[in-house]
Amino acid sequence: MIRFDSVTKIYPGNVVALRNLTLNIEKGEFVFLVGPSGSGKSTALRLLLREDLATSGRIVVAGRDISRLSHWKVPQLRRNIGCVFQDYKLLPSKTIYENVAFAPQVIGRPRHVVKSQVPQILDLVGLAKKRDRFPNELSGGEQQRVSIARAFVNRPLILLADEPTGNLDPTTAVGIMRLLDRINRTGTTVLMATHEERIVNAMRRRVIELDRGAMVRDQARGVYGLGTEAR
Amino acid sequence: MNRLLYFARETLVSLRRNVLMTLAGIITVGVSLSLFGGSMLFQQWVDHGTQRWTNGVEFEVFLAVDSSEQQVAGVRQELRDDPLVRDTQFIDKEAAYEEFKRLFSDKPDLVETTEAAFLPVSFRVAPEKAEDTETLVARYKTVPGVDSVVTAQDSIRQLLSITRFLRIMFLALALVLLSSSVFLIVNTIRLATFARRREIEVMKLVGASNWFVRVPFMAEGLVQGAIGAGLAVGGVFGLWWIFDRYRADDPNEFFFGFYVTVANAGRVAVVVVVVGAVIGVLGSLIGLRRFLRV
Repeated sequence: MIRFDSVTKIYPGNVVALRNLTLNIEKGEFVFLVGPSGSGKSTALRLLLREDLATSGRIVVAGRDISRLSHWKVPQLRRNIGCVFQDYKLLPSKTIYENVAFAPQVIGRPRHVVKSQVPQILDLVGLAKKRDRFPNELSGGEQQRVSIARAFVNRPLILLADEPTGNLDPTTAVGIMRLLDRINRTGTTVLMATHEERIVNAMRRRVIELDRGAMVRDQARGVYGLGTEAR
Repeated sequence: MNRLLYFARETLVSLRRNVLMTLAGIITVGVSLSLFGGSMLFQQWVDHGTQRWTNGVEFEVFLAVDSSEQQVAGVRQELRDDPLVRDTQFIDKEAAYEEFKRLFSDKPDLVETTEAAFLPVSFRVAPEKAEDTETLVARYKTVPGVDSVVTAQDSIRQLLSITRFLRIMFLALALVLLSSSVFLIVNTIRLATFARRREIEVMKLVGASNWFVRVPFMAEGLVQGAIGAGLAVGGVFGLWWIFDRYRADDPNEFFFGFYVTVANAGRVAVVVVVVGAVIGVLGSLIGLRRFLRV
């Protein structure tokens, strides 16, 4: 589903963000991308979304080489990838329902599809009752659920989560992780960048660790700090 | 349908959010296009009045209405062989009648009662050097069959050079104003994209196509350009009304033959609308360019 082939990303000023990264993620996997700040996690996610181009190497998403994707096909790629961020990125002037409905609307889904899918997804994330509230009336955990609902409402093949629990207390974070796990069980590939040890250890899923742009560990059913603890 | 409604709503919301900037854009477009269209119409007004005196034509030799074909041929031959003459243009009865109809288009009775046969044929003459005009006029007055020779008045010549100057001035001014209206629209669109940067960010993340993101902003620029052009169309027709209202109808008046028709004004209006739309879309495309890089 996702393949990096010797991917290197060098930012202007000779800052090496990714160093010859090669990895392969199968359909339906749940993968943690861990490592300290500046290890290249966010860069890897940015490259996957084609917000940036790799300096060298190849990235294949759903069978497509995205480094050679023409400019106007990028939106098509992004429809296959749902995104969740630490800061939710909800639109404050829209209600919860409108925020979630925004995603199918702006890619031109017919109205009846929007009308049937949005309530369904709000139900899934447990916010059906708060559909007419505004984001600032919700707790952080609830806002993150809205953001997950929006990322998932178009049924992407892949869900990217960049520190989704970064702003949440541990209990709320567990709820979010359950939700991501549930989405993963529908066959969606989930790639989550995090540096929260507790969560990684609790989930026991595949862990890919980056350090200064290079992969230092790829472990099935891993824990967070094997490499770092040993040091 | 769904999508059209969406675009319309987004455009309206955005226009309302920046009322002042939008108004500034509309007014500049309106003023500059009014100048642009006005100078086009003015030019046509002058062209109609001075049509005989273009391309270096300095005088016109009218033959008698009942002159014979031999006489016409004689004058033609003489003009052709004349070393002082650069070019001549023959106006036959039909062409003269066409011009007559044009000049008296506001007097249908007169046109009705006049036939081509009543009108004289003539030669419009462009001399090699304008200084030779007097010599030539004196020479052709006496050729058999010639009824009269009419020269361009000095005032017409001055008018032509003044209008040329005025037209360049107006067009330059219109150009400056047009470019400033483009900048204003660019700025409005930048502000609009900035106001909606979070929405745009989310739209791009979930894979909205670039056109879907762009269309409301382009519509916004288009609306500004179109409303401005609408104002200018009003200005153009206002100018037409003035020209028409004060049209000289006495052949002895200086401005006799200076006129513009509704059709002239209509064509200028079409140009104005097209230019307005182009300016609106161009402004928004420039405004969007930097912001919408994927």
